Amino acid sequence: MRFIQFTQPNGRVAAPSARFGGRLGAAGIENEIDWLFGAALNGLSGSARGGQFPVDLYEDKANLYARAELPGATRDAISVEFIDGSLSVQASRKEKTGTGETTVSFNRQVSIPDEIEADKVSAVYENGILTVTLPRKEEAKPRKINVSVN
Amino acid sequence: MTFFNSLTSGFNGGCAEAETQPTRRPHYEVNETAEGYDLTVSLPGVAKDGLEITDEGGELRITGKRTLKLPEGKVLLHRETSDAAFELLLSHGNTIVPEKTVADLRDGVLHVKLSKAESAKPRKIAVS
Repeated sequence: MRFIQFTQPNGRVAAPSARFGGRLGAAGIENEIDWLFGAALNGLSGSARGGQFPVDLYEDKANLYARAELPGATRDAISVEFIDGSLSVQASRKEKTGTGETTVSFNRQVSIPDEIEADKVSAVYENGILTVTLPRKEEAKPRKINVSVN
Repeated sequence: MTFFNSLTSGFNGGCAEAETQPTRRPHYEVNETAEGYDLTVSLPGVAKDGLEITDEGGELRITGKRTLKLPEGKVLLHRETSDAAFELLLSHGNTIVPEKTVADLRDGVLHVKLSKAESAKPRKIAVS
């Protein structure tokens, strides 16, 4: 039998009777909701947690960047494609189950509005974070035009 | 019977000492084996330098600071992740041997092997 409980981190008392201790106060309702969701999510099996993953988008003058959280992904199974203005990321992770191993798949598509040099798209995977660099096409880069005034 | 209690939640907004730096509870999984517990914690964006594991007073605390921040000179267009550090507090009630704990961080996933104390292992009691 396993006994798992969730309380606030400041609930320093380890006794099971402290289940609702330390979760009162100004942020009470938020914590309550978070606690309930947290409890539900942690109870899900590995396969049920597959699907989408969080992605950030940011840019500088030359490139667009997509950053995705993919902890524990199998490196060989990470696939990044850029087709018709859409960035597609697929990945999978192996998880141990009671008897063996199961593969959990993830995928996400992100629309990229800018003109991208599709053949120069590159990706780096580090500490469970995938960073995709999408170089803009020359014509899509902001250009300064000198105007001579007579 | 196992007593392995998680004592943490998502944002610890009510905690005075951590009010300035909110933390998030990472996804984690605990599997019990005959010899101990296998703990798997998802810590995306956390490098070895940002990871801290402490065991004190029957509680195992794992904190992971994310090393990846938004690089300078770049403009954020869309955000779904967070920079908040991860914090997980698990109470084991001194049923493990801290010295035998083995931890391995790879690709944003932390694997911790916790060994059960002899006193916590099941014991057959002979009836005379």
